[in-house]
Amino acid sequence: MALKEAVELLKKGIAYAKRTKYKEALAYYDKAISLDPKYPEGFVLRASVYIETGKYQEALTDCNRALSLDQNCADAWSKKALALFYLEKYEDAVLAGTRATSLNGNDAGAWYVLGVCLEETGKSNEAQTAYGRSLELEIILDIQAESKKIRK
Amino acid sequence: MRTEMPLSKPIRRLLVQTEELLDTEISLLRQPEAEPGGTLVDKYTYDIESNVIIFPAQYVGLLKDFIIAKHCTNLLIKGAAAKRKEYRICSYTEDSVFTGMRQIYLDALKDEAKKEKKLPVQKLIQMLFILYTQFNDDVNEIPWNAIMNASVYHRMPKIRKTQLYHIMKESKNDMDEMMEQESIVPRRYFVLDKAMFYARDMFLAKTLPADELMPVLNIPQMKKFNHLEVKEMLTTRWTQTAWYQSKVFGDNMLEIIDKPLGLVNWAEEPTLDYFYDLYKVGVLMTDNLLSYMTMRSWFMWETPKHLLDAHEHKQEYERNALKKIFGDLITDTLEDL
Repeated sequence: MALKEAVELLKKGIAYAKRTKYKEALAYYDKAISLDPKYPEGFVLRASVYIETGKYQEALTDCNRALSLDQNCADAWSKKALALFYLEKYEDAVLAGTRATSLNGNDAGAWYVLGVCLEETGKSNEAQTAYGRSLELEIILDIQAESKKIRK
Repeated sequence: MRTEMPLSKPIRRLLVQTEELLDTEISLLRQPEAEPGGTLVDKYTYDIESNVIIFPAQYVGLLKDFIIAKHCTNLLIKGAAAKRKEYRICSYTEDSVFTGMRQIYLDALKDEAKKEKKLPVQKLIQMLFILYTQFNDDVNEIPWNAIMNASVYHRMPKIRKTQLYHIMKESKNDMDEMMEQESIVPRRYFVLDKAMFYARDMFLAKTLPADELMPVLNIPQMKKFNHLEVKEMLTTRWTQTAWYQSKVFGDNMLEIIDKPLGLVNWAEEPTLDYFYDLYKVGVLMTDNLLSYMTMRSWFMWETPKHLLDAHEHKQEYERNALKKIFGDLITDTLEDL
């Protein structure tokens, strides 16, 4: 029951976050987390808002909490990589990014962040591979979005 | 640089270089409803303090990087000219609107005389200014688009695949424009509009080089003109189609674009002088295209503010031009405008 309610609150939070109303989004995410602190998605979503608002350390903490609940949460690894990138911990970001992309190979953003961090650590060739994968996925998503628009 | 997002190294370098050369600030902005090719809102065009590059929020990787690269190049060209107080774009006045609209009207009459199904007068009248401003937009866009893309290609080798994807998409969208109006737009203007895009695409197909960008391969309506036998080319059937004529005019326009850009040394150090030279190439290309289309008197080189003011007065310009062309006959129609 708590999970169901928490999911509803998270949905509301997502709607606010999409409209860049981060304060409101955060309020819903906080409520959801206190209602069901064992649901990793809440922490991941809150981490996203923290990243958008420049609170990278808090974002990292939330990602770690999500990962302590589910080690295979690809989104948590992906957000962790991003938070670490902003904190300029590039080596750690590469590790997190690698984990994120191995758990979910279709996350264009994760591949791109991995590419940027690989570049930062001097691994240019690996970075190009990651960028290449990111581009392929972005193009697929873009074509799908275009087709959707045309169908509408 | 005011940005909170990961960026690849070459893009970060380009952003920093652009800001340093122009002594200005660039912000990056993600927007869900942004144009697929992004938008540049710059201080050389608008009365603002710094510059913003807007791109679609869903572009998280290299698709966004290319948009940034393209608009940085655009900004450098504009800024280099503005720093010398020479930045001008094609604008219009009440008189030039009259000149352009009258010419379109005369050409439309010639077309209408040949048509079985005539275009309602009301629609014909409404079309005049729409077509006129379409060409204003086109000449302020197409030559610069060719320059920006050539520059990005030569200076940012790591995003070439992304560039190719963006250009192919843009090319298809540009060619789709006006398609629904093909039967009502005077043939001459439909052909000239498509010819400009054809020339740009051919130039980029050669520059990148990427055969798949050639309109005879990329654009469905033009595919049939690939590998035409000489005999076939000479038959009336082909030569009378708008798309074939677009190809013929486009091949001539390609020379106009190709000649000055063929002389640019893309490996030269990217200084403000270098970007100012690119600006001059763009002006020359635009002038030559306008001459080729016999539209030199339609537009004039003016400050961006002049064009913004002209846009503010466009309804007035259109009404007055229509009054001059049609006299008292038009009174009822003007009330509908």
